[in-house]
Amino acid sequence: MLVGIGSPALLLAVLGVFSMINRPLREQWTGRLAAGSMTMASLAFVAALVLYLTSSTDMFVLSYGSWLTSHEGGIAVEFLVDSLSLAFAALSAAIAGVVAAFSNRYLHREPGYNRYFVLFAMFVTGMILVSLAGTVGVLFTGWEMVGLSSALLVAFFHERSAPVTNAIRVFSIYRISDAAMLAAAVHLHHVAGSGSLALLFGSADPHVGTVLTGTDATLIATLLVVAVAGKSALLPFSGWLPRAMEGPTPSSAVYYGSLSIHAGCFLLLRAAPLLEQSMVARLLAGMIGLATALFSTVVTRVQSDVKSSLAYASLTQVGIIVVEIALGLHTLAFVHLTGHACFRLLQFLSAPNVLHDLHGLEAAVGERLASSSGYFESLIPDAARRRVYLFALERGFLDAILDRLAVEPFHRVARWCTRLDHFLCDFVVRAAPSILVDAGESGDD
Amino acid sequence: MIDSRVGIVALVALPALVVAVSYIRLDVERLRQYAVSSAIVMLLTALALAITSNARAVLVSGVVRDGAPQGEALLRIDALSSALLPFAAGLWLLTVAVTPRGALDRGGLRRTALATLVTVASFLTESALLLLLLWILSIWTFIAALSDARHRHQRRVVSVYLGLSAVLLAIGVALLIMPMTMGTRLEVVGVWLVALAAVIRAGIIPFHAWVPEVFDHGRLGPAILFSAPQLGAYVTVVLVVPRAAPDLLRVLAVLALATAVYGAGLALVQTSARRALGYLFVSQSSLVMAGLDCTSVSALAGGLLLWLSAGIAFAGLARCVLVLEARRGRLDLSTHHGGYERMPVLATSFLAMGLACTGFPGTLGFAGQELLVDGAVEMFPVMGFAVVVASALTGLAVLRMYFALFCGRRETALDATIHLGLTRREAWTFASLVIALVGMGVMPRPIADSRFAASEEILRTRQGLIASSAVTQQDAGP
Repeated sequence: MLVGIGSPALLLAVLGVFSMINRPLREQWTGRLAAGSMTMASLAFVAALVLYLTSSTDMFVLSYGSWLTSHEGGIAVEFLVDSLSLAFAALSAAIAGVVAAFSNRYLHREPGYNRYFVLFAMFVTGMILVSLAGTVGVLFTGWEMVGLSSALLVAFFHERSAPVTNAIRVFSIYRISDAAMLAAAVHLHHVAGSGSLALLFGSADPHVGTVLTGTDATLIATLLVVAVAGKSALLPFSGWLPRAMEGPTPSSAVYYGSLSIHAGCFLLLRAAPLLEQSMVARLLAGMIGLATALFSTVVTRVQSDVKSSLAYASLTQVGIIVVEIALGLHTLAFVHLTGHACFRLLQFLSAPNVLHDLHGLEAAVGERLASSSGYFESLIPDAARRRVYLFALERGFLDAILDRLAVEPFHRVARWCTRLDHFLCDFVVRAAPSILVDAGESGDD
Repeated sequence: MIDSRVGIVALVALPALVVAVSYIRLDVERLRQYAVSSAIVMLLTALALAITSNARAVLVSGVVRDGAPQGEALLRIDALSSALLPFAAGLWLLTVAVTPRGALDRGGLRRTALATLVTVASFLTESALLLLLLWILSIWTFIAALSDARHRHQRRVVSVYLGLSAVLLAIGVALLIMPMTMGTRLEVVGVWLVALAAVIRAGIIPFHAWVPEVFDHGRLGPAILFSAPQLGAYVTVVLVVPRAAPDLLRVLAVLALATAVYGAGLALVQTSARRALGYLFVSQSSLVMAGLDCTSVSALAGGLLLWLSAGIAFAGLARCVLVLEARRGRLDLSTHHGGYERMPVLATSFLAMGLACTGFPGTLGFAGQELLVDGAVEMFPVMGFAVVVASALTGLAVLRMYFALFCGRRETALDATIHLGLTRREAWTFASLVIALVGMGVMPRPIADSRFAASEEILRTRQGLIASSAVTQQDAGP
């Protein structure tokens, strides 16, 4: 377990320190270290999963004591070990290994090569922490690392303004997700007096404490659904997903094809016992999932670039997975998640070649291939087709709605407050007794 | 092992020597080297004192008021000050090491040394009267830095706000130290006035407007050195928290939390990098004050830890902006500046220190926020949610600043002829600071434990003072 968690963390530390002192490692060393680290992590988690399954034990908690302080309080370093967490950790490490190998070649001699692998290591460390988290502190640590690395990789080609602008939009949604996650953690602590996820997600251990019920369960579950919606680009937060395609293809593959976008689904699976306590949260999750699936299947059909099309196709499946979780079909949801993550990873990594592959196919066939689309479009009445097309082209007007309802009012209020602060300064200088004002006039150097 | 007396003499003498040497006709760069060396020795001395001074050591006692459990020591080292001394030394080192050559002059080096001397002296005393004198001296030093005609308006703003804080502190201290006021309403009024003075200095609503104004249009270097030590927080911990009624602490906490959210929100929309920094400081200092106003051990320890982490991280962040301004002039956040490839250490340092301000996991700020929220949520649930919102907005503001200042534009061939990279001194200073912040964030236990010890000591003092005040009131009769 420690090998699996420690490998990517050590990679992050090594690459980070060398970058910080402006002595980045050479490409071949970075590539080898990344490959070695991911391989070790994958093998470690696969071995742990096999051992766990063959030993037939129940879920247990691996505790490494208090990290923050020797006094009462602070963050306990605990990891929840069961088939779900180990399987997801093994999947994450394996996918990360494949992407690391791909990235090593894809980004060869790219100026940001070292920066990419620092952020990649941060992401993998974060994903593994999310997979195995036993306390909200550990979960939140992983969640934040995934979010920050995602935003910084969206801005990977940072010499252009579009990736940078899009990265800020992506990060702003992530902050909403992080805030919801942290609010859930705060409320959990307030109610239960503990940050243990075994308490939150239910445990057979009678010594852990009461399982949450009633209003507390509903509030925490709802906050978790909001956090998941933000991280997994579910409605109404789907607007950031196409913006995130600005990053390099390997990062798009690992974040929005396979792992990061499914992190929310994993969290919902992990929180399934809590969801069962709250019909409101389950309904909310189910409705959001269904709406997202319907929305994305429409939008993906009008995208003009392959990565955006794949991103919305991913989102369709993520929406369906969320519906499965809301319906209580947990095993199906996990199998769906795993298969989809692997399949979509392959599609994303092949995306740069899609035109080349198409031309090769047409050359082999000897003619242009007929378009396979049209059946579902024919189901839409003629009168509505143009409107639906516009809706899909504008991606549901989500960004415009968010700007109109949240961003612009916020800016207006903030600018007004800034003007007020200017006014306050001028006012107090005019209104203050001259003795206070003149006291500053006699200051010397 | 280091003797406390020797250590304290060194801590006071080193900046005093720099002040004295600044009057000699030395080359400015030589004077800076001397200041840097002194700051390094001071930091090492302070660290040695922090590690070896586990218990409270009173070196010069103060006058004991009748009925009070203990006097206010004129000169002491205890759990609270042992971590603040290296903090003050570190701020001085950061200032003298990375101040751009264009902003460096003899008077500036003298003022930074004097400001550090005042800060260290403040952290070594718990005497209300001595704190008042040092408070006034620090304000005078800051106003002196704004003495040129260009900063006339800012000088006036600072004079009014901080002059008012000095007046309120003077009246409050007078009411606290007079023997006849002990256990009476006048003492309560005195505590309120001291708290109000601290609120003004910390930039808490509605007394916050001077901070962004001074950061935006004043001199950024002196503003950082004046604000980062957070003497307002120190006065709160030493004079207010031990004596204040729960109602006063709650009012302070609510105002501080509202200010934390307000400051973070406004930092997000500013077009001036300096003004954004000012609002970020308002937000950070407010979070510290909110933590200090809690009477639970964990929350108070969290506030003390945030004080250190926010102080170091914010000072580093602001110094990054200063270094960048020296190369590019005033920084407009409504446009992209680019230049990451030429100054990756500065860019990464800026991002890391900004994330430390926001409480990102792996930095010392995360440890402080966790303790603060964990400790306060029982008695003050809304604090947790306010910290969440402030943290979210701060993170967004920091990343926006990072992208605007270092990304989004390819530098032209013309720009490439101008050397904009960091000097070796600057690069090593920033890199060391980031590694320290992350290192302490990954292994926070020693420093967190020391804050817990300080927190327990403060709350013990509070219990003692409250008990003795109750006895005095009882003796006074109905």
